Amino acid sequence: MRQRSQITTLLELYRPDGISALQPDERERHPKLIGCINCGLCALAAGRMGSVRLPDLAASYMRLYARLGEASSDVEGDSPDLERAAAACPVGVPLPEVAAIVRRLAAG
Amino acid sequence: MSAPSAHDVCVIGGGVTGAGIARDLSLRGLSVLLLEKGDWGGGTTGSSSWMIHGGPRYLEFDWDTTRLSCEDAGHIVTIARHMVYRVVFIIPVLPHDKNNIERMETAMEVYDRFQPLKKAHPHVRLTPEEARQVEPGLASDIIGAVTMEEWGVDPHRLVFANVQDAIANGARALNHTRVVDLLRDGGKVIGVRYRGSDGSMSEARAKVVVNATGPWAPEIGRMAGAEVQLRPAKGIHIVYPHRISNFSISCESIDGRDLLMVSHAGFTLLGTTDDDFYGDLDSVDVFQDEVDYLLQAFERVFPAIRDYRPVRTTTGVRPTLFKWRRYEDQLSRKYEVIDHIKEGADGLVTIAGGKLSMYRLMAEETSDAVCTKLGHQAPCVTATRPLPGNEAELEPAAELARRNGVSALAAMRLQSRHGTNADAVLKDVRAGRMVCRCEPITEAELAHASRHEQVRSLADAFRRVGLAAGPCAGAACVMRAAEVIGNELGWSASIRCDAVREFVRGAWLGRVPVLGHSGWAQEELAQGALRGLLN
Repeated sequence: MRQRSQITTLLELYRPDGISALQPDERERHPKLIGCINCGLCALAAGRMGSVRLPDLAASYMRLYARLGEASSDVEGDSPDLERAAAACPVGVPLPEVAAIVRRLAAG
Repeated sequence: MSAPSAHDVCVIGGGVTGAGIARDLSLRGLSVLLLEKGDWGGGTTGSSSWMIHGGPRYLEFDWDTTRLSCEDAGHIVTIARHMVYRVVFIIPVLPHDKNNIERMETAMEVYDRFQPLKKAHPHVRLTPEEARQVEPGLASDIIGAVTMEEWGVDPHRLVFANVQDAIANGARALNHTRVVDLLRDGGKVIGVRYRGSDGSMSEARAKVVVNATGPWAPEIGRMAGAEVQLRPAKGIHIVYPHRISNFSISCESIDGRDLLMVSHAGFTLLGTTDDDFYGDLDSVDVFQDEVDYLLQAFERVFPAIRDYRPVRTTTGVRPTLFKWRRYEDQLSRKYEVIDHIKEGADGLVTIAGGKLSMYRLMAEETSDAVCTKLGHQAPCVTATRPLPGNEAELEPAAELARRNGVSALAAMRLQSRHGTNADAVLKDVRAGRMVCRCEPITEAELAHASRHEQVRSLADAFRRVGLAAGPCAGAACVMRAAEVIGNELGWSASIRCDAVREFVRGAWLGRVPVLGHSGWAQEELAQGALRGLLN
């Protein structure tokens, strides 16, 4: 007997818990996205995103990626020179991409 | 030595069961002394998988454990509502797994009968395409999946909330205080002799002494000439300082055991092993082959697992009840309340066995036994009375943040640890200053933990508020943390250095087994940041 799809049920059931999916291309690059070692060099190279220091973006916000909607106010505002910050990173974290994902997930 | 203090009950052991017993008995109006040789939750409790879970695998051979776990989990979720969060598993099925998708779904249908007990939802079945849609990291050869819902909790905060409530109801609770002997009058146990954190010796008289020391229970029992038979079982976890999957994931090990990749709020736990342990309970090492055993299993269902950087390992020993001729994995997680009067050690009660998800029930039954011995009649209220910080609804994190000048993320994390007491923690001029940016943790919270939560070392701070638990593993924060704690506790400059050195050396032991997995960049940074300190 063919089962009725339950995927919609699953996603709606757990949306209030803030479990939101990374997109497939983000998933593939995820190990690189969370490689931050919190050295702080990006903070020297560029300013904050909203009220968030760039090292915190990669080492703290990107850790969660579920329930980020509750912290959306932190990342509202201007973006710094993320390319310059990424160039300073000794482990190659793609900061522009990290920033985009955090903003997307925080927006819900 | 000062004159002995006198109490109705002395509880030895500050894991979740001992703390739960202290809370239960103090709420019943008894005078309680709680003693823990290390830090609250620093033993077996703290090295668990951080889950309040029913344990569906026990349905195969230990039905009662699953039922009782689910029932008590329901109570814990009620009394600790701000401390718990849903952990939703995807259980993928591969070709040649011991359970095909139909058997797996049948098992979940049975488990669904227990889910309402712990306020959880029934399972969902997914096609392989659907499973990879919601969890793109899954292997390409899965043939289907089912979901399973459990609850996650910070076990250190759960233990301390019980300690906190016990103290609020008249108990005296001391960490870093080691019981060195039981006081006896003939055969009867009448109290304890203990060494305090300052090295001084003291005695306490108690009408009943409760041995809630987990795997150390036989050692305490021997002090009274009583036997406690356990089969200690070692388990390790690998810790990743990020959430690395959308859902938690279950898989099968090479020897057919069920393993779990648990996605917690900001980190992931991979585990666990289950091996008979005959060594020193105070010095349990993690071995490389244990790490390899876990990674081998998970890369079958989540191939990218070896691309992620683990930050440390944890290890603990389960106080499993003794049974001959069983594989470790097949041992019951039942518990037993033992009155040693039959062995000539009246006055000593031991609670042995069990699991985190049943701690409240274990504490209740132990407390019932104690009250019976004392002829004290008072009902247990721990199933319904909220733990501190869980009495009322939380305000939105953004409002807490705005009012106190902290980030919304910091406010969220603070609420997860302190619940409705978060605002009080931030009533400090240092509220806006960050110590640990990965977690994040404010100076105010760290100072509060030192003043009011019995933090006496950086390792205590790691357990109490998550200091150095993030990707930097302390490289960026331990020096500043030592300053903040040192200011509260009156540490000299050399004591602060010693505290950092002690923490870094201890943390190193948990990090070594996983450094080979892209951990060396982090380690090089940490060594540079702390250069000279360890020389």
